[in-house]
Amino acid sequence: MKRMYLIYKTCMKANIASAITYRVNFILNSFIMLIGNVLFPLVTVFIYNSNASFEGWTFQEALLIQSVFILSTACAGIFFNGIMWNTMSHVVEGTLEVVLIKPTSSLFLLLARSFEFESIGLLGGGVIMFVYALSGIEGVTFSSWLLFLLLFGAGLLVMFGVALIVAAISFKWVANSRLPEMFESIKSFGRYPGTIFPKAVVAVSSFLFPVSMIAYFPASTLIGRWEAYFFIAIIPCVLFAAFGIWLYTYMLRSYKSAGG
Amino acid sequence: MFEMIKHRFRVMRAVAFVTYKEWSAYRTHSMVSIFVGPVYFLVQYYIWSAVYSGESYINGMSLSQMLSYFCATMLINYLTMDFADWNLQMLIRTGKFITFSLRPMNHMFYALSQKAGHRVLGLLFEFIPCFMIFFFIFHIDVLPANLLYAILSIAMAFMMNFFIHYSIGMVAFWMVQSSSIRNFFNLCEGIFSGSLIPLVFFPKSLQMASFFLPFQYTTFLPAMVYTGSYTLADITLPIPQVLLLQLIAVIIAGVVCRGLYAVSLKHFTGVGA
Repeated sequence: MKRMYLIYKTCMKANIASAITYRVNFILNSFIMLIGNVLFPLVTVFIYNSNASFEGWTFQEALLIQSVFILSTACAGIFFNGIMWNTMSHVVEGTLEVVLIKPTSSLFLLLARSFEFESIGLLGGGVIMFVYALSGIEGVTFSSWLLFLLLFGAGLLVMFGVALIVAAISFKWVANSRLPEMFESIKSFGRYPGTIFPKAVVAVSSFLFPVSMIAYFPASTLIGRWEAYFFIAIIPCVLFAAFGIWLYTYMLRSYKSAGG
Repeated sequence: MFEMIKHRFRVMRAVAFVTYKEWSAYRTHSMVSIFVGPVYFLVQYYIWSAVYSGESYINGMSLSQMLSYFCATMLINYLTMDFADWNLQMLIRTGKFITFSLRPMNHMFYALSQKAGHRVLGLLFEFIPCFMIFFFIFHIDVLPANLLYAILSIAMAFMMNFFIHYSIGMVAFWMVQSSSIRNFFNLCEGIFSGSLIPLVFFPKSLQMASFFLPFQYTTFLPAMVYTGSYTLADITLPIPQVLLLQLIAVIIAGVVCRGLYAVSLKHFTGVGA
């Protein structure tokens, strides 16, 4: 365990050092990511400014869902999303054996190398928006915070599963950099209040591809609008992540080296 | 003059054909849009259906107009999409740009020809299938209000997109790592092009500013021409005037881009080939 911690720490340091090498670019990118958060909920801002709304949701409640989505995306970006691009790049260049011959778990090593400090800007923007949205919501209790953290963690498991599934598919569907886009499009169902979607979509986004757990369920819990089925949906989230790990490990066998 | 145009056309056709063949090997790359486009549209469909519940018009647009607008922006994007900025900065950073000094054509024209070939692929594997899905499955009115005007506007949007992306790519002549500038530009484009939300939802001052920014000429304006009416900042213009406005914007962008290209070449230092 200590050895794994040391490996992870070394990879983190390497990523930060790399970011510092092109520091102007890094600072600008982080800043743009922060500003870029304005882009994401802009639709909601303009909708509410036009005296329209998502029925039954105040502006700050709708914004809370979107800020939680940003926080989840930022955490995923920092800790594991990079595994998609790292795997794709290794498969295309035929250099994965450099990782495979290392005396540690390949999946763990690729995850450690996926640490991405640049998403710190996204996290900052998400926190600012979250605090602002929360300032307009009353009655948040200690227990709702605990439930929020539980569901937020489950949402991260979904993102982790998605990252691993995309990475695993890239072993067979080589050089398709648009693969993540397919999953991003499905994830976009999780950015908005679930009440605007038909029941069938809610069922799919809760239990089959649990993207509602990324933002809608945790934010609803914080507002005090939780339903019992939110907690049942934790099970598919765990299964999703487990499936991602299994698929990645399984597909790793499909890797064909380019030699060299 | 005529011979020169004929020669240039032949060169463009040859480069476009080679690019088409090259990218055809990765056609599934383009075909991802057949899944992604309709899924994103479905999300928009539910969002706007919820927003319009109890409202007939918001900012002068009805629900069906709003849905047609989003379909039009998606379809136009498949025909005009551009990544000349990424390509150019990669060539400059790796030093491969030096090989273009030896070729009997300038890189700007070469990149435009490549884009033409690449977007023919977009027409076949993105535009046509998505058009069919929107029209036959979602029953959205995606037929252009006037085919000739729509083609003219999309052709100008194609050029405009190329000029502004190529100009951004030229930043790499001055900066080794220019991804931050490109990201910043993409951010502005995302907001001000109208692909996120129609510009009529913006505050009036920003709507006015959009007349002087290059972004609306790539997405919002062609989408409005496609759907048949144009209003921005409470100014309603007939479509021929809108096309003239777009033409002026494209000419200005082209002149700026060409000027920047001449200046940029003097800054280039090759690092091997």
